[in-house]
Amino acid sequence: MIQWLYIDPGGGSYLIQVIIAAVLGVAFYFKTGWNWIKSFFVKKKPEKPEEPNDSGV
Amino acid sequence: MIPAFKRHPASFRDPAGFVFQTDGIYYRCISNSYKKQYTHLTESGLLDKLIKRELLLPFMEVAIEGDQSDCFKIIKPLQIPFLNYAWEWSFEQLKDAALATLQICLTALEHRMILKDATHLNIQFVYGRAQLIDTLSFDFYEEGNEWIAYRQFCECFLNPLLLAGYCGLEVHKMLRAWPEGIPAAITSSLLPFRSKLKLSVLLHVHLQAKVSSRKANATNENKKKHLSSAQLKNILLHLISCIEKLKYPEQTSTWSNYYTETIISQDYLLNKKEIIRNWLNETEYKSAIDYGANNGEFSALCSKESFIVAADFDSRCIDELYVNLKNKSERNILPLVLDLSQPSPSTGWNNEEQQSFLSRKYFDLGLALALIHHLAIGKNIPLNMIASLFADSVNQLIIEFVPKSDLKVTDMMRQREDIFDDYTKEEFEKEFSNYFVIVKKEIVSGSERTLYFMNKRA
Repeated sequence: MIQWLYIDPGGGSYLIQVIIAAVLGVAFYFKTGWNWIKSFFVKKKPEKPEEPNDSGV
Repeated sequence: MIPAFKRHPASFRDPAGFVFQTDGIYYRCISNSYKKQYTHLTESGLLDKLIKRELLLPFMEVAIEGDQSDCFKIIKPLQIPFLNYAWEWSFEQLKDAALATLQICLTALEHRMILKDATHLNIQFVYGRAQLIDTLSFDFYEEGNEWIAYRQFCECFLNPLLLAGYCGLEVHKMLRAWPEGIPAAITSSLLPFRSKLKLSVLLHVHLQAKVSSRKANATNENKKKHLSSAQLKNILLHLISCIEKLKYPEQTSTWSNYYTETIISQDYLLNKKEIIRNWLNETEYKSAIDYGANNGEFSALCSKESFIVAADFDSRCIDELYVNLKNKSERNILPLVLDLSQPSPSTGWNNEEQQSFLSRKYFDLGLALALIHHLAIGKNIPLNMIASLFADSVNQLIIEFVPKSDLKVTDMMRQREDIFDDYTKEEFEKEFSNYFVIVKKEIVSGSERTLYFMNKRA
């Protein structure tokens, strides 16, 4: 059992995280929109019927 | 300070505490400076949650004798049966270690804490699970702050995994070369162009390489913090989804499918298993190491009560074995990538932070099956040196001698001059008898190979 590294792991990573968060936000926005458009053209899969429970008496 | 106790040589960087050893048991001192964080960790329920999910190495608070004025608490963690490092892990192992780190960070966020570092050295495979061993890795999370360990996480986990996934490189070899992780700029230059078409790689690697190559700009760091916790959570979830989808490119190695395709005969395999099973049943051992384990066929014959390291130099075999063991929930076998002709060296400050493979543990039992010809003929290692290495590592040895007349050895010799006059059964027995007492030997049917059971000389 060992206490490992404590190094300064983060220097300079703030900017990149802000950019990534912004891009992911935009991507999510478009993805939601795209899924909304797609839902008009793609038929919904019928929901699977529940497995019959044989174990009951 | 605790002067009477031996501080671990790797435990000096973090002022929040340190690991020390006494009577062969490892403990951790939690410094007074870490009191607030530790109290929050335990009282917020985060600790229990992580331990329950087997993401954090369990421990208990203990009281021991000695001057402990610097320590707020002393904890005794579950003792790790065999330390293992990322330069001994296969692709799927590094992937699970990465996912465990991200899951821990996500869970910590729910409790207003965050991981302050994210190196693979904080993770150990303990009884089949990738677990965080550094209890002091948690710090308070303040809304608006970034994940301080993001870059380190990418360098230690994401980048090697991507290089493996896109280029087929072996993660253990990369991390031996870059023990502190592979920088984004290097990863970006090695990844193929098609990786830029993938949003996750474009953002976390190529963009990061561009941004980090700019001179650190103080104004960036002083900007108003406006990265919300929801955004941070999204980044972590995005990393999880990116890593979960990564696959090691399919490729058959020399040693995959060894037992189904390239083994001499089924008769040989069955008889060998029977002999070894019988010998194992008659032997007492708590720990064992299988050198050249391949897919773990023979490691699995060992007692379920024992702890077994299944080592092989073929990372694809170890990868397959790790996944199989995980699916079967067999937790007493630890698969590791090991090239016995180049075992992991000791590294870190003063060559003491991470131990070499061979110095880490002395095993009760060793298995060296269909291995000796690869060392003696494939690597030109004299028999007496092989015997000496095993004698330094194990107390009992089950070893298979593969003679020159064997088809596999004939194949190996085909392209080279025979300089191995000493590679005979008689010479093998003579050299190994210097270190071991040969207790049993049996020829395996369907082959000319001989199995030996040996006890180390007192």
